[in-house]
Amino acid sequence: MTVNFVLNGKAVSLVIAANRRLIDMLRDSLGLTGTKEGCGIGECGACTVLMNGEAVNSCLILAGQVEGAEIVTIEAIAKHGTLHPVQENFLQYGAVQCGFCTPGMVLSTYALLQTNPQPSEHEIAAAISGNLCRCTGYKQILEAVQKTVEEMNSAPSEHGRS
Amino acid sequence: MSADSFTVVGKPVVRQDGREKVTGAARFADDLRFPGMLSAVMVRIPAAHALIRSVDYSAINNDPALAAICDASDVPAAKTVGIVRKDQPVFCDKKVVTPGDVIAMLLGESEEELLRLRDQVRIEYELLPVLTDYCNALAPNEPLIHPEFGSNLIVHYPLRKGNVEQGFAESDHLLEQTYTTQRVEHAYIEPECVIAIPREGRKEIQIIGSIQNPFTARRIVADVLGWPLTHVRIQQAELGGSFGGKDDIMCLLSARASIAALKTGRPVKIRYRREESILESYKRHPYTMHYKAGFMQTGKLKAMKIDIIADGGAYASMSPFTTWRTVVQATGPYEIEHVWTDVRAVYSNNPYTGAMRGFGSPQPIFAQESLMDEIAVQLGMTPDEIRRINGFRAGSITASGQELAQHDVNLVTVLDTAVGQTAFAERWQENEQHIKPTWTPSCSLDNKDFIEPDQLLQKGIGLATSFRGCSLGAEGTDAAAAYLSLRPDGSASLLCGLAENGQGLRTTYCIIAAEILGIPVDSIEYLDFDTAYIADSGPTVASRSTLMGGGAVKNAAEIVRTQLEGTLRKRWNLATDRSFVFSSGLVALVDDPAKYISFLDLCALAHSTGVNLSAIGWYRGPRVHWDESVGQGPAYFTYVYGCQVAEVTVNIGTGEVHLDHITAVHDPGTIINLLGAQGQVYGGVTQGAGYALWEEITAPNGKIKELNFDEYLIPTSLDLGTITPLFVSGKETYGPWGAKSLGEPTLELTAAAIANAVRNAVGKRFFNLPLNLEEILLQRKLRPEDPNANQ
Amino acid sequence: MIPQIEFVRPKTLHDALSILAESGDGARVIAGGTDVIPGFQQGDLRLKSARTLVDIHHLPELKNVETRDGGLAIGAGITFTDLAKHPIIAAEYPLLKQAALTVGNVQIRNRATLAGNFVNNAACADSVPPLLVYNAVLRIQSHTSVRETPLSDFLLSPNQVQLNAGELVTNIFLPKLSASHSGEFYKLGRRRGTAISRITLAVLLKVTENRIEDLRIASGAVTPIGMRFIDLEKVALGKTIDKSFLKSLANELGEHVLSKTGIRWSTPYKLPVLQQMFFQLLCRVRGCSGEAIR
Repeated sequence: MTVNFVLNGKAVSLVIAANRRLIDMLRDSLGLTGTKEGCGIGECGACTVLMNGEAVNSCLILAGQVEGAEIVTIEAIAKHGTLHPVQENFLQYGAVQCGFCTPGMVLSTYALLQTNPQPSEHEIAAAISGNLCRCTGYKQILEAVQKTVEEMNSAPSEHGRS
Repeated sequence: MSADSFTVVGKPVVRQDGREKVTGAARFADDLRFPGMLSAVMVRIPAAHALIRSVDYSAINNDPALAAICDASDVPAAKTVGIVRKDQPVFCDKKVVTPGDVIAMLLGESEEELLRLRDQVRIEYELLPVLTDYCNALAPNEPLIHPEFGSNLIVHYPLRKGNVEQGFAESDHLLEQTYTTQRVEHAYIEPECVIAIPREGRKEIQIIGSIQNPFTARRIVADVLGWPLTHVRIQQAELGGSFGGKDDIMCLLSARASIAALKTGRPVKIRYRREESILESYKRHPYTMHYKAGFMQTGKLKAMKIDIIADGGAYASMSPFTTWRTVVQATGPYEIEHVWTDVRAVYSNNPYTGAMRGFGSPQPIFAQESLMDEIAVQLGMTPDEIRRINGFRAGSITASGQELAQHDVNLVTVLDTAVGQTAFAERWQENEQHIKPTWTPSCSLDNKDFIEPDQLLQKGIGLATSFRGCSLGAEGTDAAAAYLSLRPDGSASLLCGLAENGQGLRTTYCIIAAEILGIPVDSIEYLDFDTAYIADSGPTVASRSTLMGGGAVKNAAEIVRTQLEGTLRKRWNLATDRSFVFSSGLVALVDDPAKYISFLDLCALAHSTGVNLSAIGWYRGPRVHWDESVGQGPAYFTYVYGCQVAEVTVNIGTGEVHLDHITAVHDPGTIINLLGAQGQVYGGVTQGAGYALWEEITAPNGKIKELNFDEYLIPTSLDLGTITPLFVSGKETYGPWGAKSLGEPTLELTAAAIANAVRNAVGKRFFNLPLNLEEILLQRKLRPEDPNANQ
Repeated sequence: MIPQIEFVRPKTLHDALSILAESGDGARVIAGGTDVIPGFQQGDLRLKSARTLVDIHHLPELKNVETRDGGLAIGAGITFTDLAKHPIIAAEYPLLKQAALTVGNVQIRNRATLAGNFVNNAACADSVPPLLVYNAVLRIQSHTSVRETPLSDFLLSPNQVQLNAGELVTNIFLPKLSASHSGEFYKLGRRRGTAISRITLAVLLKVTENRIEDLRIASGAVTPIGMRFIDLEKVALGKTIDKSFLKSLANELGEHVLSKTGIRWSTPYKLPVLQQMFFQLLCRVRGCSGEAIR
């Protein structure tokens, strides 16, 4: 079957078997390997991407369900070589260790900030509760997002609004 | 160099590999593909113990989707492997001893097609009696898992100090308890993946994978192929978490992939899905621990007798090493005159167990720290008092007869810091005195004691202390290498023989070299790990990478620095007693700071005069030894100390435990990267909390039930309150500037602290991890497979 | 792995129902996929004979929320995210919002649908107890028919519902509720983030002058399927509400549950905890509780 969708701002048309998932399209057909597979059943969030602006598990979406959708992956969060403030703060606050959950974490927090620019501490924790991390204990991730919220609210940049 | 004169050491430094990781550019093994690459699918049988009668591939042999089959007949040299005892077949051909065992591997271009073919392989097998109750493994009528060893005993470590019976006789009080801990999974988020690529007429094999210990994998693959080590080249992809877990399993998968790559002449990738990862990979050992303590009315411990049995599962793996750490540390950080300890690891048909962060220490710490609290309660003391009375101090003698010297023995310091920070004693006493509502959950339907709503949530506070031997100790040779090369423009390349596990050792090493050379951390490029280019430095285990690898990096940087100093002395015509300061990209005379040269110019000068600016640094741990017959000797050359305080809220109606706050005080020696050190604490405490409350791999009949993250519950972002890491930096003789260990110390005592806090909240003591809902309310586990579950 | 399968994506509800009518036994509906895909990955027997997947996730007819007859008609395909965000649901049917926010996690709630939660009749479906106490009525359509069935009749037995081949739940109607009802939803999981329910409870209560005028109780996870306790609710009518009565009610709930489940491996834990937490929940609804539960 053929699937047409918008990937990271560009129209894509792919011929693919019906039993393939969104994550397979991204990783195997399009070579976008930033999206990771950790469990295959929607429990770990490593495969999180944005679908029409919402964080979703790309392992739970069949290729055909992507028809007409807008997908954003980790590869498109930094713009022209400049990291998104969330990415920058992940570095500054030590939110990255092994890095396998990181793309999904970045996308979950990015999605949160798109719809809720002033999330509370609990809202941030809830937004990443579908993203398992075994290295960091989440603390430095939460700190990085909180700092991003503070920065974005004190000096609004266009980056977060793109 | 004194602590306050550091430029980068001890500061928060951003990870050297961070940018790739936040942008999705970092390449993990499954992100790589090569032309002509084949996929692999494992063939297993759903049995925990069975004789293989026949394997029939006739239904698939001629299928075009099948490129090749590999089984035991394809293994060129060593048919069985193992880090200590070679008891694990690469492919099973006679029998399976646990359901993760692999009989054959199918290769082809489409994983989907291979899965279809797998169903058509016909295997006849005969079920054998299954041994799952490991405490019974040494009983005479139990099945032998590996009959060739004559017994199910993998290893037995005795430790004898003083006269334990005399100690009990002299004691005012005796206390005896039995504790158990569960089997848990590492739960690295990246499942196993490895690629083997045949090179140069199949005389060399290149392996790229999520491999924790590339040199161990090289040795195992070379053994299996019957090749010299140098023909096996292991490169490490980014490693998506390991925690001790990507060792044996990755060695085995590397061997299988190599066999297949050489047989087909094509690159072969093995990647596991989560279910397969949990099914086949090893776990943390379940322990059953019997403790008997004799103590005086004053609180002084007099004697301790410990009998521990560890479930090694189907293969020996690391059991001989994990249980050795147990025997060294089983009495905890307390000076006890008379000790009698026996630790045994045994075979069973359960999933095999091996290395996992903590490595034989979280289990005895849960037991001994529960016991210490119970003694305190019995004597009317607070938990910190009893530990202050017995805790190690400078010059204390450990259970193995080692005198603690040549480092700050900071046990009491970490304890006092944690206690002071949390107002522990007052709060503990207040909770103890608070009268808890009595409620006995039962199936009887009437006259339930209902809890007044304002009594539903009960607060508790608890602590645990621990000491931990750094690095391998008497387990084995302890040395590491690092390669540093300065470029003519002042930039540098660095590589150490210890492999990054995601914890950030590359950054730590760059900091160490940058400090010595006085250059920016980001002017040092850390090279990709490849066994072809660096000396075997042992495994990234035992919280040894900062201590050992850091020592090697520091040594390499010092060699290069000495070369630069020589160059400068010559150029400036200086006497040999004139010394230099390397800082902020400048090299100046200590006694005449106005005389300086830029680091860049100095490198160019050295280069132009033919000075060698590359060095291989080396660091070897001091000698340690161990007398196996009595368990005596200086087990480790140094130790670290920690104290954690857990504050919890327990819902006594449901048994839910919420972790409000954990204060973690550790003495890791000198901290190299503050950001990394804090990350180790947060992560370790969180894993420890998972061990305390939620995580458990059950295996009725040897078969794991929790095969994915829907059933194997690790902590999420909503499951922990705040964590406060505090560091006490003691003086230390060894390691770079006295930096030692932190990774494992952060995890090992968390469950014990939580269990003690729960006891403080509800007034009941718990003896069996995890403290899940049922354990808290009923003081037992409930499982569907229990014999009297459906009365 | 997901088997080779046909995937169809009808443009309208009408088309979807036609396809379902034509494809017979091999057809399975997929919406958010949060049950179906893990089902395939974990070898769920109910998907064994699946040949065609009919995607209904995008159908606008299944996303509408509109007031009808004073109540609220909710499209069966609404995601839990949209459900939790809906102002009328938050104001009029807060237990449903509470339950929606406990489903999975953000990624799951962005995909999982209301009807998808209960059409498999899994005991742990979080939306069921609130829907039951709100007396939810399902609209069930096929290519040729439309019928309405209370959710309580629709849920037959574990994994069994009253749904014929070719039929689709298209709408869930919640009748109007008096403003003087108050209630609570309770969920117990093994951890806080992304937890499968061990016990769920929903309670709606209307009290006039300290006498119970209406009481509705529904459970999930602790019973084989989500269910109401009509007999118990009747007992409570007209009774003076005080702590001792609430205790006796909690004891009786235990009896009713035990009669449905018999003693199972989990009973020694679940039964007393259900009684205890039911009592706590009632106290909380009555405002006689000191601290919030969790």
